[in-house]
Amino acid sequence: MSQLSRRGFLGVAGGAALASGLAACAGTGSGSSSSGGGGGSANTIDFWSNHPGKSKAAEQKIIAAFEKANPKLKVKLTDAGKDYEEVAQKFNAALAGGNLPDVVVTSDVTWFNFALNNRLADVGALFQKNGLSTSDYVDGLYADYRYEGKHFAIPYARSTIVFYYNKDVFKKAGLPDRAPTSWDEFTQWAPKLQSAIGNGKHALILDDGANYLDWTFQAINWSYGGAYSKEWTPTFDDPKTLKAATVLQGWAKSKYLKTSADSASDFGAGLGAVLLESTGNLGGFKDLPFELGVGFVPAPGGIKACPTGGAGVAIPSGISAERQNNAAKFVEFLTNAQNTATFTQATGYMPVRKSALKEPSEAAYLQQNPNFNVAVQQLPKTRPQDYARVFVPGGGASIGQALDKIVAGADVAATMKALNGTISSAYNSQVKPKLKS
Amino acid sequence: MTESAITGVDPDESSGRAHQAEAASFGGVLMKVAGYAAMVAVLLLVAAPLFWIVITSIKERPDIYTQPAQWWPSPPTADGYKAATTDIEFWSYFKNSLIITTILSIAKIVLGVLSAYALSLLRFPGRTIIFVIVIAALMVPNQITVISNYALVSQLGWRNTYQGIIIPLAGVAFGTFLMRNQFLSVPGEIIEAARLDGAGPMKLLWRVVLPMSWPTLIAFSIITVVNEWNEYLWPFLMSDDARTGTLPVGLTQLQNNDGITNWGPVMAATVLAMLPVLIVFLALQRHMIKGLTAGAVKG
Repeated sequence: MSQLSRRGFLGVAGGAALASGLAACAGTGSGSSSSGGGGGSANTIDFWSNHPGKSKAAEQKIIAAFEKANPKLKVKLTDAGKDYEEVAQKFNAALAGGNLPDVVVTSDVTWFNFALNNRLADVGALFQKNGLSTSDYVDGLYADYRYEGKHFAIPYARSTIVFYYNKDVFKKAGLPDRAPTSWDEFTQWAPKLQSAIGNGKHALILDDGANYLDWTFQAINWSYGGAYSKEWTPTFDDPKTLKAATVLQGWAKSKYLKTSADSASDFGAGLGAVLLESTGNLGGFKDLPFELGVGFVPAPGGIKACPTGGAGVAIPSGISAERQNNAAKFVEFLTNAQNTATFTQATGYMPVRKSALKEPSEAAYLQQNPNFNVAVQQLPKTRPQDYARVFVPGGGASIGQALDKIVAGADVAATMKALNGTISSAYNSQVKPKLKS
Repeated sequence: MTESAITGVDPDESSGRAHQAEAASFGGVLMKVAGYAAMVAVLLLVAAPLFWIVITSIKERPDIYTQPAQWWPSPPTADGYKAATTDIEFWSYFKNSLIITTILSIAKIVLGVLSAYALSLLRFPGRTIIFVIVIAALMVPNQITVISNYALVSQLGWRNTYQGIIIPLAGVAFGTFLMRNQFLSVPGEIIEAARLDGAGPMKLLWRVVLPMSWPTLIAFSIITVVNEWNEYLWPFLMSDDARTGTLPVGLTQLQNNDGITNWGPVMAATVLAMLPVLIVFLALQRHMIKGLTAGAVKG
């Protein structure tokens, strides 16, 4: 009997060991593989993208044109996730385990952490080395990726915020057919908009805190002269920031405001009179049951109150120089004037090149789509985002949570003071030690 | 009130005593009604989202976001299904999901049964320690091991391959745990009798222990199949495109990041992705019940 048991033992114990061993499998990447970048021929450019704004077809079109112009190079388009955070997650795994991409999409909030940890190459220097120019990029958009005098990404799918409004409701409320010049003016309009749109719907729809309210609220905050931070110093308890937060809470208390996880769809269904959202939604606003109005973000006194957002493309530092050079060539092609025009028309993102506006196809497109033109005209009025949101790890999420609490009725001053502490400690523990002084 | 005070008889008490039998049957009816009400409530709770998914998948796009909500599509359209199967390489993702789920489920079930058998019915030194290690593995969330697994698999050159997805996922601490405890509950006398009758280890497993454990095994199989079918993180990290990507990875391609998602095709693809698991569940569920009753009769 025991003999029989032993005979079975080898096979079965093998199964048990395999089962436990693999479930908790803990192999570690050796340092050499991440610096070598794993396999992959230098002539194949691996482009990791989440296809922002449903742009896969546009990307494939640009890649086909690139391969035609550079017969020796091949581009592999990789589905790297459903949003910027997933791309960052996948890239993070690759940094540990090798098989790095040649070009990767990084958003306004994900690039900095990689740059801080020396994981991204200085694209400005790479462009210079390969005889490519960066001077044609819209200055503000290119400057967004600057740190320590180096640039770590090239603007690609860049968006800004615009003021969307439901023209039918505005007409019914007897309001002028334009965006308000300040949020105070909007507050005066709100009761009329509310009674015009009716019960169960709202004068204003914003994202909720888990879905980029921290991004759109920046525009409101800046218009009151506030900011999340000055450089690395958080300024959530600044009187002007508190004022903006109080205004936000006032709208919520008067039931003018609804925050939503899918704000653009809500607005598109006619559930709100005003929406503050990315220009990237413009392409999706088709067959609306009302007439759509697009205006500048309210900015009283000509101040710059419109944050930029969206994503750029970066090149990892851990791949060979040859691969980096090829990647730089591809990045330049991807964002050249003609392809910028192709890409923006397919998606609704901002043209990242100054000369793209002179492309005949783009000029014709802008003429036919005045709403998109509004967004382009607003570009000179944009301003880079506050460090507290984009550079502090988890900053955006913390701000979003605090804003959610304020919308729900929490004490403004106390919430903002606590947020100040959260951001400060995240900065002190995770960023400050790595900053080169 | 006053009457009862005069007569000194508590009307509630007397009627209660008089109608005890009726009260009981009344209580039975009440229980039945409550039972049905609870059943309807649970059904609504479970079915409403499902109904909404199916309805949304055959709606036209402007009808999806409206207030008041539209509870019946007018007119129904197959556009969502068309978009779901043509916008992305749906069938390629589908095929990958089928292959990966099938192999992975078989591997997990076989490994789970064999290891559980060894840990419960065979005697060898270190048995308890191995079991503790298996349980420890169960406690480690796979999100934690993802990075190191990625490093290992990537160095083997297994990214974008089926084995790269399947092998690291084939560990079965849960199955080992579940099946071991099931095997231990099989009466020792039966196993002893089988051994006396000359049953070898495999025969013991196949003819005696497993037939008595069908319900647990089927439950374990269903859980495994559903889990593997829905697995997202690991296949997402391992695959770069539709060559090895699974359905959950493919479905995200339908969602528009940084813009407006057209939910019609997303819901249509979700319905299509649900069907195979539903079929497996319905097929296995019958056996599960059969197994349960068989056990009860033979007891």
